[in-house]
Amino acid sequence: MSEVRRVHDVSGVPTHAFSHHNLVWWGTVGFIVVEGFTLFLMMASYLYLRLNELDWPPGDTRLPELLIPTINTLLLLVTIVPMAKASHAAHHSDRLAVARWLWLATALSAVSSVLRVFELRGLNVRWDSNAYGSAAWGLLILHTTLLVVDLFETGAFAVLFQLGHAQRKHFPDVSDAADYQYYLSVIYVPIYLILFWGPRLL
Amino acid sequence: MSAADPAGPQADRIWDLGLLFITLGSVVYAVVIGFLLYALWQGGRRVESVGGPAVEHGLTQWVAGAIVVTTVLLLGLLVANLAVGRATAEFAQPGALTIRVTGHQWWWEIEYADPEPSRRVVTANEIHIPVGRQVRVEVSSRDVIHSFWVPNLHGKLDLTPGYRASTVLRADRPGVYHGRCAEFCGLQHARMDFRVIAESPGRFAAWYEGQLRPGRAPATTLEQQGQQVFLSRGCVLCHTVRGSAAGSRVGPDLTHLASRGTIAAGTLPNTRGHLAGWVLDPQSIKPGVLMPPNQLAANELRALLAYLQSLN
Amino acid sequence: MVTIEDALTEQPLDPGEREKLERTWQPCPGFRGWLTSVDHKSVGKRYVATAFLFFLLGGLEASAIRLQLARPENRLLDPDQYNQIFTMHGTTMMFLFGVPVVLASATYLIPLMVGTRNISYPRLNAFGYWVYLIGGLFLYSGFILNTGPDSGWFSYVPLAGPEYSPGKRMDVWAQTVTFTEIAAIIAGIELIVTILKQRAPGMSLHRMPLYVWAILVTSFVVLFAMPSVALASQMLAFDRLVGTHFFNPAEGGDPFLWQHLFWFFGHPEVYIMFLPAAGFASEIIPVFARRKMFGHTAVVLALVATGFISFGLWVHHMFATGLPQLSQSFFTAASLMIAIPSGVQVFCWIATLWAGRPRFDTPLLFVLGFIALFVLGGITGVMVGSVPFDQQVHDTYFVVAHLHYVQVGAFVFPLFAAFYFWFPKVTGRMLSERAGKWNFWLFFLGVNITFFPMHFLGMMGMTRRIYTYLPETGWGDLNLLATAGAMLIAASVVVFLGNIAWSLRRGGLAGENPWDAHTLEWATSSPPPPYNFTHLPVVEGLYPVWERSAERPVVTGLSAERREILVTTVLDAEPDSRHENPGPSIWPLLSALPVGVTFIGGIFTPWAFVIGPALMLPALIGWGWPQAIPPDDRSIEEVAA
Repeated sequence: MSEVRRVHDVSGVPTHAFSHHNLVWWGTVGFIVVEGFTLFLMMASYLYLRLNELDWPPGDTRLPELLIPTINTLLLLVTIVPMAKASHAAHHSDRLAVARWLWLATALSAVSSVLRVFELRGLNVRWDSNAYGSAAWGLLILHTTLLVVDLFETGAFAVLFQLGHAQRKHFPDVSDAADYQYYLSVIYVPIYLILFWGPRLL
Repeated sequence: MSAADPAGPQADRIWDLGLLFITLGSVVYAVVIGFLLYALWQGGRRVESVGGPAVEHGLTQWVAGAIVVTTVLLLGLLVANLAVGRATAEFAQPGALTIRVTGHQWWWEIEYADPEPSRRVVTANEIHIPVGRQVRVEVSSRDVIHSFWVPNLHGKLDLTPGYRASTVLRADRPGVYHGRCAEFCGLQHARMDFRVIAESPGRFAAWYEGQLRPGRAPATTLEQQGQQVFLSRGCVLCHTVRGSAAGSRVGPDLTHLASRGTIAAGTLPNTRGHLAGWVLDPQSIKPGVLMPPNQLAANELRALLAYLQSLN
Repeated sequence: MVTIEDALTEQPLDPGEREKLERTWQPCPGFRGWLTSVDHKSVGKRYVATAFLFFLLGGLEASAIRLQLARPENRLLDPDQYNQIFTMHGTTMMFLFGVPVVLASATYLIPLMVGTRNISYPRLNAFGYWVYLIGGLFLYSGFILNTGPDSGWFSYVPLAGPEYSPGKRMDVWAQTVTFTEIAAIIAGIELIVTILKQRAPGMSLHRMPLYVWAILVTSFVVLFAMPSVALASQMLAFDRLVGTHFFNPAEGGDPFLWQHLFWFFGHPEVYIMFLPAAGFASEIIPVFARRKMFGHTAVVLALVATGFISFGLWVHHMFATGLPQLSQSFFTAASLMIAIPSGVQVFCWIATLWAGRPRFDTPLLFVLGFIALFVLGGITGVMVGSVPFDQQVHDTYFVVAHLHYVQVGAFVFPLFAAFYFWFPKVTGRMLSERAGKWNFWLFFLGVNITFFPMHFLGMMGMTRRIYTYLPETGWGDLNLLATAGAMLIAASVVVFLGNIAWSLRRGGLAGENPWDAHTLEWATSSPPPPYNFTHLPVVEGLYPVWERSAERPVVTGLSAERREILVTTVLDAEPDSRHENPGPSIWPLLSALPVGVTFIGGIFTPWAFVIGPALMLPALIGWGWPQAIPPDDRSIEEVAA
């Protein structure tokens, strides 16, 4: 039997932590990297397919509508505010404030998701019309999938905090959810530019 | 058929590069494995581990030296490789013969481009070229991706649907060079061969003039009956015999079928027996081929074969 | 240096500690335990075993291929069967064996090697395994029902597209690929987090073992390579199922888009398999050379450099497509330069053996075989990196030879070495050395006899993926030789399986550290307990077991009442926070099933993309449902205050 020396007592180390001190935050960042890169590759594919055509949109395909996508892009950017507030409240362990801001963010996300239906319709092309249509739908659907998943997550957290089932470890999770929301909103800006201004300018 | 037996300047340069790679690679391999074995031999006899700054320093020098040598060798190979790349990718000079190759599942459509439409020749699975003259090969595909490869003459070039690509090659000595499809293209990828026949300019010109003529009119009664079979049965739906009513381009052009050395995309000798087997039941020879089996009475078959064999 | 006698299982400081840990970390009993396990070791073992099962199936397919090609005009298989079998062989070896086994073995080893109790996201880890299993079973169900994919593991469009591959075969392929990509990405993320945030105190980055470095780099490569093929396979699925035109040239789509996306994944994938294999070698060589690894820093830099350069090579699979000269030159340069970091590693291994006292046990033999085969495969790799030379040998048996020297030589050999090396840790019993040597020599001879002649066949014009050839080609004799070699490989695998079966029951007891190895997994019992270490170790050097001081410093203060793991800082591995690791859960399995419904059902009806996610929702709610509130509940702010 060998002697064991007590050198590192970690009982004083915190059990709940935010941002990079927290293990879950790293997973969120990992998924942001993977999903962000997937969206980047989809944007690159869209631009690659553009090289095959003289006109973009090709043939007599109509230009996509601008109004709803522009509104939705701004709306997604605005959603950052309540999420940032929720994150701030989470840092202060203010359960009801977190719930309040999460409800607002959920509502805004829900509106974004509904507007997405009109954005898809406003592309003025079907996915099976030509490669342009396929790429446009592909890019928009990919982002929409993430948006809807995020909507459910934010909503679930809102319920959790409203009903008082939230534990200490869920406060950092709200902060991570906020970081994810920032990414989802910001990455839509290049997607919006490519999808709706691209056919006008490229 | 071998990349190690070049018959033209492109394949020749590539093979020189290959020899350089193989020689250098063998030496490098022998040296690395030699060091490994020596290390094991002398380490295996050791009773005590060696260590300390002197040993580490010595190892560092050896390893650093090896890395420098590796880098220098790789840079040298890069230069050699770029030089060969430039030389083999030369542009076609004026006077080059232009041949358009179109890939089909699973045969090759060959068209000799000529500014004058009446002097264009269409054939299948057999390319005649004059020795010593540059040939520009333009490729495209009707269906899936194929790849055009004649190992004795040049490296391969993919035939991608929606794209055109071209390469330049030349045969410096007469001969029959085998070519294959090199990109997996479905069920009968294995049986999608062709031949390149390099011959003297005179013989090539004679062959070319022969190919320009329409298909020979049937001379005997039997051949006439054969032509009737050809035109009244399934054949006419897919094949062309110029000068007759058969003008479909789904399958290979048969105007000068009898002048070719092979059938079934370069995989069967063009003999009466093989031709008969092929006409009756191509599926048993080349399962999945797009040509359907034909039920012919014995006299119909005899007549059809006589007709087909008269198309020289 | 510590000898085996010193390394007896340490006693806990508090006598009741071990019972508490046992109670906290115990799995559910019986079959339910099997379905709900979240222990990285049981999931990892299962993952490795499943991957090896697919390796055997892929090997059977390879044998069928070799038997068919043994003679010209052989009629053992018809072209349709042959095309399915070679597609299954490639798909199995790449997607169901290669990448999964790398990540599976890392799932087992990494938490032990960095000195933590479990992987970062154990439920996600279990979920990844189930998704992978569903994908693999799905592919083989398709194959058994004669719906096996038949357009090659690379599925070039338009051949794999709706027009030229009607039916469900290529749909099965596309969705299988999606399943395995999901599993790989999940494993990549949790390995990165485990490595960066869960290293035992003292294991700063410069004290991190080389295998851990290799897995860190590999996981990053996974993160950037896998999205590319996942996206491509979904585009293919949509082209086939709902009529999109991503790859249809008639409607503005592009077959080259597929090739770019596929090879942007496909080439790094080679390094996803090679880097961990090199990591195995760098762990095993010092142990059997009985000295520290020479050039630790150089090897780390080489691993990182390889990870980066691996993304600059994909176009060398497309040299025959007629791309512009300039881009060809760039990719040639990258293809040649990646030989430098590989060379650095080989030279460092040789230098370590040079200055060591090698003992020739089976793990080292497999590593030496690896070096011999890898150097050859690397040299032919430099050759195929050259555009003009590649235009001759591309898609011929020369490339088949090259890639098998690299994949079998530089991947399967180190994997066998690792298997012999870590089997005692995993099972507590040694594998038979005598059978191991038979295993090695049959395998080494078999691989060379099978694949070396293929270099010549390629230069003689034998193209790949052909189900037969004519007698006048003159390829018959070399093919027969290759087939004979394949039978030796098969015999070797039989010896291997026999060795496992025998050793599991009768193998010598391993003890804690049978090889006198130096990484942390050898500082706990064999097999390790569910909580890995009674006390987390404190690392004092690059070779923690060899260099630890007599006092055996350990971590205390982690709760034994709940599944607490220690989170440390990225660079210096200083304690950062404590994190509660979740216990056994059925939800990973119940969440994987809707994923199966979505992608498998999607082949038959687009509604599956609605029904699957709808089923997913309750599973995710179950997964995220709050559990009992833990007793200790202090936040970082309170501690700071």
